[in-house]
Formats: sequence, structure tokens, C-alpha cells
Amino acid sequence: MERRELIQWLVATAGLRALDGLAPADLFALGRDIHRHTAPHASGRTLTAHAEQTVTIAAERIIPATETPGATDAGVVAFIEKMLTDWHTPAERERFLAGLEDLDARCRARASRDFVACGEADQVAVLTALDAAHEEWFDRLKYLTVYGYCTSEVGQRALGLFPLPWRYDGCAPVDAAH
Amino acid sequence: MPPTDFDAIVVGSGMTGGWAAKELTELGLRTLVLEAGRPITPEQDYVEHKPSWEMPFRGLGDRRATASRQPIQRHSVSFDELSHVFWTDDVDNPYSTPADRPFYWFRARQVGGKSIIWGRQVYRWSDLDFEANLRDGIAVDWPIRYKDLGPWYDHVERFIGVSGQKEGLAQLPDGEFLPPMALNCAEQHVRQRMQERFGRDRVLTIGRVANLTAPHNGRAPCHYCGPCHRGCITRSYFSSVNATLPAARATGRLTLRPFSIVKRLVYDAKQNRVTGVRIIDAQTKQQRDYTARVVFLCASALESARILLNSDLANSSGQVGRNIMDHIKWGGASGQFDGWTDRRVIGERPNGIYVARFRNVSSRHADFIRGYGFQGGADRSGWEAALHAPGIGRAFKARLSQLGPWTMGFWGFGEMLPREQNRATLHPTLVDAWGIPSLHIDCRWGDNELAIHRDMSVAAAELLEAAGATHIEPSTSGPSTPGGTNHEMGTARMGRDPKTSVLNGWNQTWDVPNLFVTDGAAMTSSGCQNPSLTYMALTARACHYAVDQLKRREL
Repeated sequence: MERRELIQWLVATAGLRALDGLAPADLFALGRDIHRHTAPHASGRTLTAHAEQTVTIAAERIIPATETPGATDAGVVAFIEKMLTDWHTPAERERFLAGLEDLDARCRARASRDFVACGEADQVAVLTALDAAHEEWFDRLKYLTVYGYCTSEVGQRALGLFPLPWRYDGCAPVDAAH
Repeated sequence: MPPTDFDAIVVGSGMTGGWAAKELTELGLRTLVLEAGRPITPEQDYVEHKPSWEMPFRGLGDRRATASRQPIQRHSVSFDELSHVFWTDDVDNPYSTPADRPFYWFRARQVGGKSIIWGRQVYRWSDLDFEANLRDGIAVDWPIRYKDLGPWYDHVERFIGVSGQKEGLAQLPDGEFLPPMALNCAEQHVRQRMQERFGRDRVLTIGRVANLTAPHNGRAPCHYCGPCHRGCITRSYFSSVNATLPAARATGRLTLRPFSIVKRLVYDAKQNRVTGVRIIDAQTKQQRDYTARVVFLCASALESARILLNSDLANSSGQVGRNIMDHIKWGGASGQFDGWTDRRVIGERPNGIYVARFRNVSSRHADFIRGYGFQGGADRSGWEAALHAPGIGRAFKARLSQLGPWTMGFWGFGEMLPREQNRATLHPTLVDAWGIPSLHIDCRWGDNELAIHRDMSVAAAELLEAAGATHIEPSTSGPSTPGGTNHEMGTARMGRDPKTSVLNGWNQTWDVPNLFVTDGAAMTSSGCQNPSLTYMALTARACHYAVDQLKRREL
């Protein structure tokens, strides 16, 4: 058993859900759909300039640059764009984009400005409320931000996961160097 | 007898085909290995060191391509964004099942077959397994016992390299081991506590795995990078590409032909012999025949059965395609430990723990016969656990580098009984991309398997409780889908009687003397151990027998 499989199992048993929550029947449908309409989204970008700026700032609020690099440094928005365009279903994508509009609406109600033009404190307050409410689109944004950061080169280095240690120690001191 | 193109033809280049190639060529036979898929060049095709950020979907896979081309293969535990190329295309390679009884047929077509993507766990069987059908009055008796296969287990282990710990358990015989990999802090503790509570009855040991812990036959030891299922540039785990095929090539007697899909065996009724095989070139779709004195089917259990059915051969017993078995899983439990917060794991051990079968070994369980082994392990979760954690900002970011508590999991792999109605037949109309009739597979768990599955979660929780774990969570998952463990077997079983079995005690078909089947199809019962080691041992043994018979001119 590889660690990847073990962690998957351990995390799954702890009751967490996966991003890929489609039932097998939905995946079959997705596959058939792609066969039928071969017009790919591959070339078309999903995020407008405004939406891209919104996602960039929101991701940075979720994982800010501190003593270590943040979401912007890790290029998280490019990963999110790729996932929205080439991975998600049209329905998931639309819900996500509607969520970004809702984010602006909330900010206008609170501070009479779009999200990107709000002050940091207002941005954090609105995102914190969305996080607490477990809005589906926001959970997706947060998942993609965390996943994109932690699998980027910047993130892997910041987390001490890269370079690889090239050895195994099953009982190493927590602060041991690779 | 007219001259033949080759002395031997081996169909398949994976786990067993590689062994047949090595043994037959080393014993002097000019051998043709036919592989349905593409050639594999490790320097190009192994991608285990490709970092996550170089994958377009960072390891989540191309969901759309997967949904359209590999909706079945994607369920394999070894399937991911990079390794998906080692699994077949479900559109080109269709099969059917009853609508309400799915069966996962995971297939690999390339040189090396599934030996590139296997789980590498290797466990010997014992007479508890070989005598099981006879003892229980189930199906038919194995024609061999441990004493017949033991020397061949030695032979195989010495060559492939198996790291493991000797435990002296009768139901899980020790082998020829390289140094064991280490148990981590939590696993050592659980082993100790299990020993105190259960003595020799329930033993936790480090997995016995075909990954090297020392240089072995010119292959380098494991460097703990993690994703073995994407290949291994240092050849540190056993696959036919990494070990058996190079050995066969070194004899100068191997001819390997990739892109060669076997359509059927060619049979001479007058002599009652197979004279060779008919292939379709996967790229040009042209047919051609190859002749040989002996043919070995090593195409994987269901594929070998399909070839036999498409050839209408070796089936006077009516048992070809029947008795499909897999291992039932997804029962188990996980639990946490409060200790060792100052300790962590460094590196990725390509191996877990194993708990040898303890049900129906020295006592009898009221609800089922046979049993299961546990696999699993302990670790501390990293950023994965933060994916759904609450919060944003600096404090949330700090969670990404925090390690979770030590968490230990046990997951069972349970024996499946052979039943004739679990069966693959030729589909009346469905064909693959090369026009070859496909299979219809009808297979379901029986009551005994379901009882085993239920017991796994109870017993796993009991082990964790004995070890002092907290937050113990028994699995609430239903059983795995049949085929999902990728241990499918039994479709051309060995036996003692030509009327009720396809193969004799030497993996030779009763009906056609120069035809052998040595992959998982040969299995008469399923045990609960990962089966590849037994397939390899059976293959090596059958090769030596066949060559001996050829020399005596009895084949």
C-alpha cells in the first residue's frame, strides 16, 4: 500500500468528502455528453478579467503571504482557471460564476463596492461569512485554492514536501530535516 | 512434426507471461511473447518523479477524458492522472454485465501488463488454503499442496526480491526475505499491544512487498519516492519490464511482439494439439498466425478464459469462464492515538502492515467459513486534512503544515468462494475494437463473503481498541464491487478430474496436452492473500514441467 492510498482511506474514514462527488451514473452521463458535443471548452477561458481579479484576491485572503509565500505567489488562480475550464461540469462552472457575482453583491450591500475594491477587512468579513455558511461555490473555491497551493512548487517547498527525502524514517523527530 | 516458428508461444507479458518467458528461454526454448499493447521504455514511460505541478490537473486527472474513455478503469486504486495510460481504454475494450450487478474488469495492455501497476504485496499460501475446498466440501479440491509449490515460492522470491519479516505463522509461511521495511511509531505500538492481547493468534507484521530494501540482481533498492504505480526508474520493485523480461532477453531466445492481440488459438483436431495462435496486429488490424510446439496462456484470468472461449477449446468440462473469484474489501476501521506528537514519518514507504488471517484458523467462526487478512497502516495526515477545515487567513494557513494525530487503519481482504454461476460467457454481439467477441460477466458476492465483510469492521475495531486507540470508526461502507480488488481468478481452474476442471496439477489443459494456462484463471480457490506470488510460482513450476515433457517427447 502506498501512502497516497493510505491517506485517502484515513481521510475518507474521518468522514470528509471528496471534491469529485459525482456518482458513477453522473460520470457516465458526463462522458456521453462529451462524446456527443465535441465542442471543447479548452480554448475558451472561463474567468473574465474582473472575475480573475476577484478569485486572485479571494485566494490570497484564504492563503495569504506570511513568512512563507501565499496563493498569489503560488499561481493558484491559473490552476483554478484550468479546473473551471477543463475539469468541471457546465453546471458546476455556472454555480461558481454565480457565486462570484453573489460575492460582489454582498460586498456592495456591505461597503457599496465590488469585492475587489473593498478594503481587506471587509473582504475577510464577507469571505468568513461564506465559509461559515458552507456555500457550495465557496467550498469549491477554497478547496481549489488549498489544493492548488499545496500541489504547486511554491507550496510544496513552503510545506517542506519538496525536494523529496529519498529515505524512510517512520519515527523521526517532528523538526527533523529531510 | 513440421518445423514451427518458435518452440513456445506465451500470450501476455505481465506478471505470469514474464515468468513464462524467463523460464522457457532459460530452459532453452525459442520463445515468442505476444503482448496486446504497446512497448514500454522505462526511460520514457516511467513518470514516478514527475512533480504535481507539472500535471495539468495536479493529480486529480482529466475528469472528462476519464469519464468518456475510462469510466471503469478509473475505479482502480492505482489509476491516476499519470498512471491512467497503463490501463485500457474502456471504449475499445468493452464488456457487459447485468444492469444490477456491476463487475469491474481492470485491464492493462502494454508490455509488463499489470505488473507495472500492481500493489506488490506478496504472501505465500499454506495448506490451510490448498486443503480448504476439500475440507469444506466446496467446488473441487486443489490437485496440489504446499509441498508442491513451496520450492517454487522460494525460486520466485529469490529472483523478484521480497522484503519482509519472518513470523513463523503456519497459515502464512515465511519466505526468502530481504530486510523488512520499518514499522512506524504507531504501528510498532499496535503490534506490541496486539501481541499482549492476542498472542500468536493475531499478528501484525510489516507488509511483505516486492520492493527491494537492498541491491538485488542488479536492481537498486527503493528510494521511498512514493508512487510506484507510475513506474520505477531504478527498477526497485518487481515487474516483468524491470526483471523477468530482461532476463529472458539475455538468453538470446526471446522474441517479444507488442501490438499483438490474440484472436484465437489454432487447433489441429487430428493431432489434438494447438499448432499456434492467430493474432490481429493492433495497429494495422492485419491477421497472421504463429506456430509453436507449446502455448502458454498468461493473458490474465478473464482474458485467457476469453481466448479459450473464442477458440472453443479446452472446455469439455464446461468450466471455462466459471467460478470467478475476487477478494471482498472495504470492511475495516480506523482509530487515533494521542501519543508521539513529537514524531512524524519522513519519506513514502511503498508498503503497509499486514495482519495474517486469524478467523477459522485455530477456532471456528459461527457466521462464515474461510477468512480475511488486514492491510493498512498508520500515518499523520498533512495538508489533505485542511481541505475541508474551517477558517481563512493566517491561522488557517498555519493548519496546512500541521500534522494530524497518528491515525491507524485496518482494511480487510476477504476470501471469496468459487461458485459456478459467477461466470463469464461470450457476448452474442458485443465485440472489441478489433472485432473480437467480448465477455458478458455475471458475478456477485455470496452470503459467506458478505458475512466476512461485516466481520472485518467488528474485528478491526477490536484490534484498535486493544491497542488503546481513540475515535475508533468502523467502516460504514458496503462491500467493494466484485472485480474491484483486481484479484479476479478461477476461470479455468485446476483440479483432479477432467470432468470438473480445466487444468491438471501442472496447469496443463486436460483436453489439449500442449496448452497451458498459468495466470489467475488456474486458481481453484481464492485464499485471502494477494495472489500474484502464487500465480508466478505456478507459472515457473508449469514451465519446468512442460520443458521436461518436451524433452521426453511426451508433448
